[in-house]
Amino acid sequence: MTSMNISEVEFKLVYQNPYASLYLNEALKLAVCNAEQEYIPIGHFKSVFLQMSALIEQNPIHYLIFDKRNLRTFHQPSMEWYFAVWKPEIKNKGLTHHFKILPNIPWFAKSVEAGKHEIFQKYGTDILEGIQITYVSSIEEVLELIPKK
Amino acid sequence: MDIEFYKEQLEAKEDMLARTTRFLLETQKDLEQKNQEVSELYKNVLDSIQVAQRIQDALLPNIDILKSYFKDAAYYVKQQSGVGGDSVFVKNNNEGVVFGILDSTGHGVPAAMLNISCTLLLRELSSSIEINNPKALFNLLDYQLEKTFNKDEEHSVAEAEGIILGYSSHDNTLSYCSAKGRGFLILNSGELIELEKDQKSIGDASEIMFQNIPLCIDEAKTLLIYSDGLTDQFGGKNDKRFSKNRLKNLIEKNYEADAQTLAKILQFEHNAWRNTTQQTDDISFLIIDF
Repeated sequence: MTSMNISEVEFKLVYQNPYASLYLNEALKLAVCNAEQEYIPIGHFKSVFLQMSALIEQNPIHYLIFDKRNLRTFHQPSMEWYFAVWKPEIKNKGLTHHFKILPNIPWFAKSVEAGKHEIFQKYGTDILEGIQITYVSSIEEVLELIPKK
Repeated sequence: MDIEFYKEQLEAKEDMLARTTRFLLETQKDLEQKNQEVSELYKNVLDSIQVAQRIQDALLPNIDILKSYFKDAAYYVKQQSGVGGDSVFVKNNNEGVVFGILDSTGHGVPAAMLNISCTLLLRELSSSIEINNPKALFNLLDYQLEKTFNKDEEHSVAEAEGIILGYSSHDNTLSYCSAKGRGFLILNSGELIELEKDQKSIGDASEIMFQNIPLCIDEAKTLLIYSDGLTDQFGGKNDKRFSKNRLKNLIEKNYEADAQTLAKILQFEHNAWRNTTQQTDDISFLIIDF
């Protein structure tokens, strides 16, 4: 599969590994990262986000959706790397909104909350600055939220 | 997927479980501490309210003063939150006795502060008026409230409703003044006459002056005056107001009862109506038997 279609919006597949896929709609300045497995090992997690960095360098991407609905295991070191390393590097390169979709499992959401709590204790809440993080329930919801042109 | 993947996933799951458990325990501890703080604050507030209640209750009159002028008398005051805006006022002199009910705006502490101020002002003012001129008391109180609390306000912040009566023991006459106050005169025949009222509150910005209304008590058995908290209370099967009609029916059914018995019946029926519903407003009533 080299593309995906959601609500009649076409996304082009730009990167894939066994654990995650990266899609892009240039017109909407929107990238989508799909978790494909219950768990993404940190090496593959970093690979997909470094691909995202390269994509952001080459294209004006304002919006990113990380669809984690297939995940069942939350990996704290990956999240810490996302907040402490990837996000500060990318925050001045055009990406303004990061939408996250969690699996509809209360204990997973609680684990994410616990993980974020630890990261904020370690790095302070300033680490949130730069890119607005919003939790949503579907990709369709984001398509309703963002400007069409 | 190789064995390394599953091993890493398992370790991540264990780490996730431990971290989440730790977080939940910390959250529980925080909540317990906050709960303790809230409980202490609540206790402090409750203690203060109890002391304030004793202060406000101390200003309530001795019913024996009214009993010395009339066949029987009883009153009841129940604030919504310990302290509140309702009170009963009685002050006598060698001409007779002035008595009534005052219902200050709002509930709780602000209403209680206003009510205490009004009661003290009434005590002071009542010594300078003629007993058969109760409107003078409300006009003076109106002026004082306006001057003291409402002078710089676009809308009045300190208002009160109520009814005040002056009984002259020299000529056995009774007259009253009503600032949206409520009451019934119950005749010996059991017929009920609703007391007229001025459509003005004490302390509001209107220029209207209060009026004296003479009350013929030749055929009267009982007088009941009350605050709106009595009739506005929600309750019953369909969560409706107690209502003036229900009060009238209750009085008509028990018009032969003496003041103290009627007061007990009203309390009992009102409590039964309210049942587990929260008290809607401060409640007060005063009953006189002639």
